[in-house]
Amino acid sequence: MLSSKRLILAHFWLAFAAFGVALVLGAWQMFVRSPFNVWHFNPEFYYRSVTAHGSVMGYVFPTLVAMAFGYAITESALEKPMIGRRWAWTGFFLVAIGAVVAMVPVSLGLASVLYTFYPPMVGNPFYYVGVVLVVVGSWIWVALMSINFIAWKRENPDRPVPLAMFANVAGAYLWGWTAVGAALEILFQILPVAFGLRSTIDAGLARVFFSWTLHAIVYFWLIPTYIAYYTIFPRAIGGRLYSDAMARISFILFVVVAMPIGVHHLFADPQVGAGFKFMHSVFTGLVALPTLLTVFTICASAEIASRLRGGKGAFGWVSALPWKNPIMLATALSLVMLGFGGAGGLINMSYQLDASIHNTQWITGHFHLIFGGAIVIMYFAIAYDLWPHLTGRALNTFGMMRTQLWLWFIGMIVTTFPWHYVGILGMPRRMAFYDYLNPAIAPQAFSVMMSAIGGFILLISGILFLTVLFRGQFGMRSEAGAYRFAIPVHMPARIPVALNSFGLWLALMIGLTLVNYGFPIAQLLALPQTNVPAVYVGAAR
Amino acid sequence: MSSETGPHHGEAVAARIERRWAALSIVIVGVLVGMATFIGIHQATMPQGRVELANPRTLHLSGEFIESNLGTSVEADGSVVVRAVGQQYSFTPQCIVVPVDTPVNLRTTSADVVHGLLIEGTNINTMLVPGYIADLQIRFKKPGEHVMPCQEFCGIGHQGMWGKVKVVEKDAFAKLMASRRRISCVE
Amino acid sequence: MSEQKLFSFRNSWFSTSVGTTVAIAIASALAGLIWLPLAQPDLKLAGIWDAICSAAGIPRAPVSASVQQPDFKTSNVVLTPDTIGRKDAVSIGRGATLAQRCAICHGPQGVSDANSPNLAGQFAEVTYKELHDFKTGARVNVVMSPFAANMSDQDMKDVAAYYAYLPRVPSSKADEKVPPPPIVVTGAPMRNIPPCGSCHGELDYKAGSPWLGGQSAVYIKAQLQAFAAGARRNDISQQMRNIARHMTAEEIDQVARYYEAQP
Repeated sequence: MLSSKRLILAHFWLAFAAFGVALVLGAWQMFVRSPFNVWHFNPEFYYRSVTAHGSVMGYVFPTLVAMAFGYAITESALEKPMIGRRWAWTGFFLVAIGAVVAMVPVSLGLASVLYTFYPPMVGNPFYYVGVVLVVVGSWIWVALMSINFIAWKRENPDRPVPLAMFANVAGAYLWGWTAVGAALEILFQILPVAFGLRSTIDAGLARVFFSWTLHAIVYFWLIPTYIAYYTIFPRAIGGRLYSDAMARISFILFVVVAMPIGVHHLFADPQVGAGFKFMHSVFTGLVALPTLLTVFTICASAEIASRLRGGKGAFGWVSALPWKNPIMLATALSLVMLGFGGAGGLINMSYQLDASIHNTQWITGHFHLIFGGAIVIMYFAIAYDLWPHLTGRALNTFGMMRTQLWLWFIGMIVTTFPWHYVGILGMPRRMAFYDYLNPAIAPQAFSVMMSAIGGFILLISGILFLTVLFRGQFGMRSEAGAYRFAIPVHMPARIPVALNSFGLWLALMIGLTLVNYGFPIAQLLALPQTNVPAVYVGAAR
Repeated sequence: MSSETGPHHGEAVAARIERRWAALSIVIVGVLVGMATFIGIHQATMPQGRVELANPRTLHLSGEFIESNLGTSVEADGSVVVRAVGQQYSFTPQCIVVPVDTPVNLRTTSADVVHGLLIEGTNINTMLVPGYIADLQIRFKKPGEHVMPCQEFCGIGHQGMWGKVKVVEKDAFAKLMASRRRISCVE
Repeated sequence: MSEQKLFSFRNSWFSTSVGTTVAIAIASALAGLIWLPLAQPDLKLAGIWDAICSAAGIPRAPVSASVQQPDFKTSNVVLTPDTIGRKDAVSIGRGATLAQRCAICHGPQGVSDANSPNLAGQFAEVTYKELHDFKTGARVNVVMSPFAANMSDQDMKDVAAYYAYLPRVPSSKADEKVPPPPIVVTGAPMRNIPPCGSCHGELDYKAGSPWLGGQSAVYIKAQLQAFAAGARRNDISQQMRNIARHMTAEEIDQVARYYEAQP
């Protein structure tokens, strides 16, 4: 029973509008830095664009999708109107205002520091203020998810919390805690410098704080996708979820180990001790576990659906799956991209292999494949699945949806595979242009052109996506019925209290954070001489 | 238990398969972590072992990163050390010369913002964070030239921050070193 | 649902999860902080305690290696956002008085046609740094060196503040129609030449880099040639020599003519 439809639609539309703008910027970036372009242009525009693209795609778009989907899950899984709708609107407006406040200085070229901030470079303070507003808005969502979860449990002491809601709250708690790292960096390190109250900053410490956020933010982006795998996909293809308990364990594992592993982004940094790098690398290995469990459960759920439809044989059942169903297609394509991206991720997590690709185009290729590919394609699926329930109108342009999903998949592969390859050749990240005529980097030119073509395929797919949603908004009125989630094959009669609550897992998450981050942060804080002069960006012009 | 049928039997089978898969997943993760540890022990390729500090304000005034001390040197104990500074928007020296097949200690730091360096065609890759010294043990197997771009966004001129590394034969290196205390291949 | 007590070692979920997490944390800490560092011969560790401290990231004292001292004077100016301090009216007023003796070459309003640099509107860090370098001998010029020799640190800051306060005036050769040459817009990345504007103020500003618009072409050209030849060496850690030495004579010419025509 979705009663906050306007709220949810507002989140989705703002998310996808921002996504559309950032997608255009992304395609432009792919073009200008490729050999298709004569590189006689102002490099500052490129970094401005990268800052905007990264900030929108990293902070605004996935946060709004997670919020929208979270509200939809709260109402439909708990089957009651959510508590705190007014507060939810407050959160929405904070995110919207924050996005505008951040993007104004960026588009004026006053904060071309990229979305990863990079102190001691410091840009216009309002860029950071905007980002803080976005995060504060999302924290309201975190609180609301927690309140609704606790209230429902109190009203229903004898029933397990529905899986979708359990997973959704796991994502909310994960984000609530992981955003603290960047918040500490911005509030206590960057903003005082940006406002001119101080003129020095510890760049090494800032990088440690940011790594706290930077890795687990990826799992925050991922959780809506995994919720869709577990609770939308089996239902959409007419099957059942293989296992409810394993799903809960996967989300719990994300809560516990997604966060205290961020230092693997700092393998090549000189300010963190090798011992802590090793500890983080071990826990980074663990975070592969929930994904391996998920792949098994989802494939098994697909097989159940196929057998129910008459699928036969050890592998023959694959062909009996409802491939014309957009959710089926999106999930399959997403899993393929997750497979390739995950394999690349295993390379990044080991110090020895990471050294050959650290900060090369490989990394950009990697996170575009995982986030832009595997995760975002499921955001599309979530929107397609929810849209009729939100708009009260039929969404039946299935052919267009399939075309859109295929184009996104093809575009992502064409973009990111050559991107990985030039990374192995050693092509550095985040450069506005390259002199491809130079023999040292000429062999990279062809791959970069491929990537640029992929970028335009993605742009076309993005336009198709917005078209489908737009047409859905004005389609024929039709009653879609209650929004439902997949049910497991064997509905457990009772669930251990550990799989129905978060107390233990939050305690482990915070405990592990203290173990893995406590000492490195404390000891950098205790070294006053590591404060270095700030370098103001975009200020003198 | 072995002859049970009905829904409970199905549930038990499902749970058993699931447990096996979970066990396999744990083994996969264990093997991966074990491999990284093994390589760390046996090839001694671990992140830099010690944290060292350097003040970016005063690099040019005193200490090992003053201009005249930058470049390649042979220390008193015979080891080869390269010292370099990253700054907006160049490395100094902007062309580094090293002998082939010799362990080289690469010591770098940043004079202003965060930089990074990677040497294309090798797995040499490190961050230059102001306030800290990056210390790397490197070795080149073949003579030749490599480009050495900055790999971290360091400002509007970042795309122009490309250095070079020239790997020369050992006797050629000795000849270069004979006449001067610090050498580079900057023309 | 809640008859079991969760936070109790009798609950297998609690004991297993906490036990596993603690075991992994301890094992990885032992391996990372003791075993792996001790396995590295290069580190020359003094024992277990030294291994733990170094792997935990406690900084070690700087090693004493012999440092090659320079055979020429290098700049010893430290440029930070606080170098100049406050540019208040008192400082600017003192600077105006002191600057009277600069007017012969640099013009009464900081602008002249004498091929000496125009100082009106110049970044304060730049004027201060060059004066300081003339004083210490890091930069040498027959006219400037004696002038700077008798200036105090505060004198130099005041003069710098005064010239930064004066408005920039286009030179007599200003011509907005001169197109920027490629070397100015994009530089030449593989020759390690970034766009001029990424330091000199049009795109972004790196402390110590002068505003070039309206400067005499003769002067710009002479300085670039001096940097390229290594005759001028007061650019800290070679930041300008690295660029100038890879510029062609033609590019130096284009840059000089372009900036002379700019406001």
